Amino acid sequence: MATMAPAVEYKGKVIDFPFENPEEEKIPDDELHEHLAKPSTERTKRLKARCRWKHASAGEFVEHGVRAGIERMRLVTEAHKASRGKPEVTRRALILERCLNKGTICLQTDEKIIGYHAEDPNYFPLYPELSYMNVKDYLMSDYSPQPEAEAEAINDYWKPYSLQAKCEQYFDPIDLTRMYQVSTMEAPTFAHGYNSIIPPYETVLEDGLLKRIKMAEEHIKEAKAELAKEPWDGSKQLSWIPKIDNWQAMVIADKAVIAWARRYARLCKIVAENFESDPDRKKELMEMAEISNRVPAEPCKGLKDAFQAKWYTFLVCHGIERYASGFAHKEDKVLYPYYKASVIDKTFQPMTHADVVEYVEMERLKISEHGAGKSRGYREIFPGSNDLFILTLGGTNRDGSDGCNDMTDAILEGARNIRTTEPSIVFRYSKKNRPQTLRKVFNCVRDGLGYPSIKNDDVGIEQMKYYSKFSMNNNGATDEEAHDWCNVLCMSPGLCGRRKSQKTRSEGGSAIFPAKILEITLNNGYDWAYSDMQLGPETGNAEDFKTYDDLLEAFRKQYSYVMSLVVRAKDVGRHIETQYLQIPFVSSIDDGCMELGEEATHLSEQPNGWHNPITTIVAANSLVAMKKLIYDEKKYTMKQLMDALKANWEGHEEMRKDFKNAPKWGNDDDYADTIIQSFYEDILGGEMAKVTNYSGGPVLPVGQAVALYMEVGSRTGPTPDGRYGGEAADDGGISPYFGTDTKGPTAVLKSVSKVQKNQKANLLNQRLAVPMMRSVHGFDIWHAYMDTWHDLNVDHVQFNCVSTDEMRAAQREPEKHRDLIVRIAGFSARFVDIPTYGQNTIIARNEQNFGPQDFEFMNLELGQ
Amino acid sequence: MEVVDSQLHVEEGTVKPCLKCKWQIADPTNPDQGQCTVNRTAMGSIWKRWIRDVHNMTCSKHEEGKLSFREHV
Ligand code: SF4
Repeated sequence: MATMAPAVEYKGKVIDFPFENPEEEKIPDDELHEHLAKPSTERTKRLKARCRWKHASAGEFVEHGVRAGIERMRLVTEAHKASRGKPEVTRRALILERCLNKGTICLQTDEKIIGYHAEDPNYFPLYPELSYMNVKDYLMSDYSPQPEAEAEAINDYWKPYSLQAKCEQYFDPIDLTRMYQVSTMEAPTFAHGYNSIIPPYETVLEDGLLKRIKMAEEHIKEAKAELAKEPWDGSKQLSWIPKIDNWQAMVIADKAVIAWARRYARLCKIVAENFESDPDRKKELMEMAEISNRVPAEPCKGLKDAFQAKWYTFLVCHGIERYASGFAHKEDKVLYPYYKASVIDKTFQPMTHADVVEYVEMERLKISEHGAGKSRGYREIFPGSNDLFILTLGGTNRDGSDGCNDMTDAILEGARNIRTTEPSIVFRYSKKNRPQTLRKVFNCVRDGLGYPSIKNDDVGIEQMKYYSKFSMNNNGATDEEAHDWCNVLCMSPGLCGRRKSQKTRSEGGSAIFPAKILEITLNNGYDWAYSDMQLGPETGNAEDFKTYDDLLEAFRKQYSYVMSLVVRAKDVGRHIETQYLQIPFVSSIDDGCMELGEEATHLSEQPNGWHNPITTIVAANSLVAMKKLIYDEKKYTMKQLMDALKANWEGHEEMRKDFKNAPKWGNDDDYADTIIQSFYEDILGGEMAKVTNYSGGPVLPVGQAVALYMEVGSRTGPTPDGRYGGEAADDGGISPYFGTDTKGPTAVLKSVSKVQKNQKANLLNQRLAVPMMRSVHGFDIWHAYMDTWHDLNVDHVQFNCVSTDEMRAAQREPEKHRDLIVRIAGFSARFVDIPTYGQNTIIARNEQNFGPQDFEFMNLELGQ
Repeated sequence: MEVVDSQLHVEEGTVKPCLKCKWQIADPTNPDQGQCTVNRTAMGSIWKRWIRDVHNMTCSKHEEGKLSFREHV
């Protein structure tokens, strides 16, 4: 029998919480999630059963047979050698062309959306032009490309040309060592190749690539005429040369993409005509052939076109031209015109809403088996999942009206039915969102998918307007365009649409670790707990700090050193990208690049700089404990504390209790919150905002966690908040530490809402009790909570809705719990694919039950 | 400095390098470096130590093999 939430007395009435679906009473608590998946058709059921998952954990792939392919490495090397002497941007276009012309293509049973980016759907490509260390790590692993000797020779060939080698020369080797070990800061993009992008899908779907080619050709014609004008003025006319190169590269890239899609069309036709015996599948394959023949060359006319053209664009932008994580787009907005044509107007590819839901499920499974050749560091920090594939829904349109539509609903329905960890979903919460869609959001949340995570639509819009002020070509987001935003990866908004979107992670992303920085601040910049080396400037030992302000000042210096170093690393990387890692296909589909003849990595119209503080709350709670017990109450000396930390609290148990019991974040406690608010706003945000990046805008904090809270926790010794060495750090940018938020969910909101200044985003992780959410009152409680959250101007929240019983059962018998999904931080994971260390951190999170004081604060009326 | 066998130390050309030890897991960025995970608390925490050179460092706790992903962080 399932556990029912206990009755609550509220406003003089006793409120019971029967299940909304009485059938659920019979499902034991420890197997609920295994009853929730409901693929909508036999086809998606089969596709899910045979999905080639690519989850990684602790750097290892969970499924057997997953490995790096050699084909892309080989093709890019051949093209690089063959294109010597040509402009670099042309070489990049020719590299793409060769991959698309010569790469293996495959067609899998049952699929209707076709396309993959490696020679085998169990494989993923590697990118020797990015990081030689990443390729070497693969060569030393069980997933090495074969033949290994050839792969090694390719990596040796690329080493001097790689982004990593080209950037390293501009840094002190000591700084490189500090960056690479990922303890006070994340390694730079040039060392691991991790990347993100928001592709302008809209231009592909609306214009088609043939039109983009024509546009580029017209620009070339005009530019050549300008170049030939008399009298010659070298100070102006020479500027046409790089533009001509860029437009020419765009033409090569777009023609190659069209030809590649038509190779798929031929494959479908050949299979249909020669090998397929099922007449229904034969018909499907002929239709798929017709679609790939037409798109992405021509504009999309129906929803099948749109799903396919979007998929081809995704593959090129995220896997073939260059690696980029993410699935950033406002999917309901991108697809709605085609939904309307096919489902409502039935003008092309007529289908029902249920057919659309099946397409959504199929697209989710394509994403689930997409292979990312990401570095070991990134295979560690998204345990139990594939890559950070995240799409955005909801919010508001340019005119301020509700952005939800029937496509939004179809995407949410498909996600709930098929139950996969990827892609994750971000929902932009606005008071204007229609109730029917909010109900679907809630259904996913309470089914424990961990998504949608919720972002405050108004906060995102204002942020786009703010960054727009720093646009270096005075062409940032207009007030209307500021409504067109999606999350770039898990937390940070960026503009989306036909132009002005973010094209590379050197703009924003990557992490800094305040807990570890505090640890070295107490030790004169030295890291005794992990690397045994000097990690920052010498700012004095803890015993030297006579006042709390002295301590804070030393922290500020350590933090500022890291901040400038990491943004310098990103900008040096960006500079090299503009010279050697051009992305002409992306340039061709961006209206700004097309108009100006600029390269996508080079053009920045809308700045969007950010960096992710991760482990902030361990540092913040530690500061509170030190201020209270050492500087205010003088119960202990700093020397006593340092002795206890060096001993990992052993022999200092009473003292540890005091530090553990000092006020903690998330309880609406004024003493703790005042210190922590100022830490966020003045130090983390204030110091970061002093840094200006490539695009001319400030860099602002996006408090985050992914699974770096585990990794960095394991690299951080004991901390003054009472934490033992090696224990996980806090699991969100602004989430209370595990089990320390004891005053209920609305007290957490009150604490969090105090931090407003100098922030870009902050991740709030909350775990909701399953019985209350599945009760007849579940939606009303959640809805009232969300409205309160919105009114307090909080930026983000994500939920786990899974019982401890079920997680414990999955630890005992993993094979029986393949559908158990949990939210880590910024992404969802299959619970049984996470290391035990990480699983225990999810179990340790406080399960929030709403009580009368919460209902009161949320102004909730509960009927019986 | 005095070498303590039970602690991570340099031993050029060792036949028991950290690289082959079950407690080692590669560095997140540089595969010639690594992380030692032998320090584990009863509560399940893993307090890692950085290994500067996985080919030429070792300690007396060396054990051949490889742990499953479940036993790492
Ligand atoms: S236990 Fe010793 S040999 Fe093994 S990884 Fe750790 S330090 Fe190296």
